[in-house]
Amino acid sequence: MTSTIPILEARGLTRSFGAVRALDHVDFDINAGEVVALIGDNGAGKSTLVKALSGNLALDSGEIRYAGGVVDLNSTTAASKLGIETVFQDLALAPHLNPAQNMFLGREIPAPGVLGKLGFLDTKAMRLRSKAAFDDLGATVRSMTDPVGGMSGGQRQAIAIARAVAWAKGVIFLDEPTAALGVVQTKNVLETIRRVRDKGVGVVFISHNMPNVIEVADRVQVLRLGRRIATFEAKKTNMEELVAAMTGALDGAGA
Amino acid sequence: MTQTAAPTGVPVAPNEQGKAPNFLARLTGIQSFQILLVLIVIFLIFTLLAPTIFPNWTNIRQIVQNVSILAVLGIGMTFVIITSGIDLSIGSVLVFSGVVSAKVMQAIGGSGWGTALVGLVVAIVVGLLWGLLNGFLIAKAKVPPLIVTLGTLGAALGLAQVITNGVDIREVPTVLTDTIGYGNVVGTTIPLISLLALVIVVIFGIILHKTKFGLYTFAVGSNEEAARRVGVKVDRQLISIYALSGALAGLAGLLSLSQYGTTAIAGQSQTNLNVIAAVVIGGTSIFGGLGTMFGTMVGLFIPAVLQNGFVIIGVQPFWQQVAVGAVLVAAVFIDQRRRAAAARGSGSKSKVSLSSLWTRKK
Amino acid sequence: MKSKRHLVSLAALSAVAVLSLSACAGGGSTGGSTNASGNYNISFIQGVAGDEFYISMQCGAEAEAKKLGVTLNTQGPAKFDPTLQKPIVDSVVASNPSAILVAPTDVTAMQAPLKAAASAGIKVVLVDTTVDDPSFATASIASDNTGGGKSAFDAIKQLNPNGGKVLIMATDPGISTTDARIAGFEESIKADSSFNYIGVQYSHNDPAEAARLMTAALAKDPDIVGVFATNTFAAEGTATGVRQAGKQDTVKIAGFDAGPAQVQDLRDGTISALVAQQPALIGADGVDAAVAALKGETVTKNTQTGFQVLTLENIDTTGKDYVYKSSC
Repeated sequence: MTSTIPILEARGLTRSFGAVRALDHVDFDINAGEVVALIGDNGAGKSTLVKALSGNLALDSGEIRYAGGVVDLNSTTAASKLGIETVFQDLALAPHLNPAQNMFLGREIPAPGVLGKLGFLDTKAMRLRSKAAFDDLGATVRSMTDPVGGMSGGQRQAIAIARAVAWAKGVIFLDEPTAALGVVQTKNVLETIRRVRDKGVGVVFISHNMPNVIEVADRVQVLRLGRRIATFEAKKTNMEELVAAMTGALDGAGA
Repeated sequence: MTQTAAPTGVPVAPNEQGKAPNFLARLTGIQSFQILLVLIVIFLIFTLLAPTIFPNWTNIRQIVQNVSILAVLGIGMTFVIITSGIDLSIGSVLVFSGVVSAKVMQAIGGSGWGTALVGLVVAIVVGLLWGLLNGFLIAKAKVPPLIVTLGTLGAALGLAQVITNGVDIREVPTVLTDTIGYGNVVGTTIPLISLLALVIVVIFGIILHKTKFGLYTFAVGSNEEAARRVGVKVDRQLISIYALSGALAGLAGLLSLSQYGTTAIAGQSQTNLNVIAAVVIGGTSIFGGLGTMFGTMVGLFIPAVLQNGFVIIGVQPFWQQVAVGAVLVAAVFIDQRRRAAAARGSGSKSKVSLSSLWTRKK
Repeated sequence: MKSKRHLVSLAALSAVAVLSLSACAGGGSTGGSTNASGNYNISFIQGVAGDEFYISMQCGAEAEAKKLGVTLNTQGPAKFDPTLQKPIVDSVVASNPSAILVAPTDVTAMQAPLKAAASAGIKVVLVDTTVDDPSFATASIASDNTGGGKSAFDAIKQLNPNGGKVLIMATDPGISTTDARIAGFEESIKADSSFNYIGVQYSHNDPAEAARLMTAALAKDPDIVGVFATNTFAAEGTATGVRQAGKQDTVKIAGFDAGPAQVQDLRDGTISALVAQQPALIGADGVDAAVAALKGETVTKNTQTGFQVLTLENIDTTGKDYVYKSSC
């Protein structure tokens, strides 16, 4: 089912904020075409780990390997170049820009010829490709020309995910993608996660929602106090076990 | 844009039934039209009150001429305010650039185009340097724009006084005063300075609304962190924008020399506030991410037309300031209402992400 | 739709504002061009609105206009700033009055706009300040500022009959009126051997700067007996500096102008003497000159008005009428 070399692997990542050790020699790994859920109590270090793995955070120590090779993720651009994309909890869209502009922000298609050299953009091409990307995910984004700030939370979620999916070649991080959503919309997100995995991309799914985690993940990695304390096969575990691991009742156990 | 129902795959919240799909876009697009209509209404009222004087071309011509220098400054200010910044230093940078330029032209001597051209380059470069200083302090040193440009406001004016000992330089090449200052476009009665300003406004209007530079300006103002995350060089963008504002202030310095024939060190006392007011009246949001060049130009004309009309019908000067102030507050009020409406329109379910997207609560 | 509602309300609001303001507009609301019947329409453009000097000038002009049966409409920029005054001048010219009384805010910057007004057939009377080349003007009426400097020296001499070291606290160089006052003062003091003139300090219209300069000057020359302060800020700053140095009993300050603030300073003893101009007379003379020119009568091209020295002795008697007004 998976290759032997993980697409993304972290070893001994450490980062302190003053006296607080947010990451304490944490390990992490994900294979291509796999959904790994990252769970843990508030403050366990999930978001910090995601930031470190997506080039948004400098590390005190530790090593990150991409497809076996050591990499230096010192910026989001560096991560993007490797094909690592992130959908943050706060979505990170520019509310005044339209879906196509958000989709291509930082990766604009220049207009053909001299105009492109002058900084003009091929707005039509970006619009068409954005629409194709949304359609590809089965997303319904009502307008390509309205600012996303005026759209519903669900639509903005769709745009943020579609953007990450469109550019992710290796790994995609989804930080609490369902926190703000209703039942139907959550189901759609889980469906999207499966589609992306089926394209061969590794999906890291961060959530507090245990039933969702068990439903969509292949493996579950549990963080506690800045360390990975357990990894479970999703099919062979249950909610009680996961919660116990998160709260520390199972310290030292797991695969 | 057409769409099919059946929300499969990625979630989509159901929108209100029958709501126009381009609601927010139309609303924002309309803001500059709203303000244009207000201008037209003001214009019509004064036309009714002073039918023989107000709508005359001689009168319109002088309004246009008097707005021209402010228009050049308004370009830079529009970019700056779209990034949710502010540039208080433009009036002082204008004076400083004018002073240095006049000094250089005085040293070269002569009153021909050669001297004038050197003066032009000097004025723009000097303004650019002040703008770079502003931009560097704002983007790299992370000092708030209000403080940085308040500092350079004082510094530039102070240094202008140091250089001149407070005495205005009144030697300006006659080619400048005769052409740019008070000349007309050949064969017409259109002021040359206004045509120049219009050309520059159009060029930068296209840059703002059609190019990557413009898009990044909006992106930085809309959500700086988001822009940074997708690899937009936010610091470089901000420095470029403040540098642009400075360079345009430098150019305005030369235009001012041409128009007034003096460095007018004690002048331009309210230029920064007048330009900021125009940009805001024109619908550019002081919270960033939103604005048009067209709106700024309309926003410049509202105070100018109000003042002109009031002078013509003989209203006391203090009331003119009251009226302009009222228009300004009304414009910001409408901006706030619009933002609040947009925030409501995006659905209350996503309260977590919403509050972080909109830096300012409704 | 919300946008429409805003639009309508904003348009209505602006309409109401403009209409109500125009309703409360004073005389001359019709603007209109010159007519032959002698009902002339004169515009007075102040150097800065809301300043007692110009208000007094406006009062004098209005009284004279009423007497002569002509209409007078006053406008002025919010600051003494040519970039703010030029649009007002242009607008006034566009309204095509019979004559303009104007106090130019810059000798060079206001040259072209005012010359254009004269070229358009409007009689231009320069009041108080002037321009580089006033040949287009019908008349110029101003205080004899050189004479004002002389009066200031007379005041200093009156306060210090034995002579001594004297300093001038000015605002900024390059202002024609204050430069002339300084020149007049310098001329007088150099002619009087009992006084020792130690020069001009520029306080840039900042009382704090004036105070700093004054304490520094007193540290260098502790025996200064008199200071001529060319405007209010300079005078108040100088007084502060003198007090900081503990020299208020030996240093006498002569100020210029007689607005309510200056008169208060005089009563407080901060300032020992004031040299008052006669703005009301300038305004009245300006209207006279404009009307005379419109009627085709001969006009005196240059008129210089005099001064009155105000001290505690005469402020409530003969000097009373020379105090500037804050409203007519």
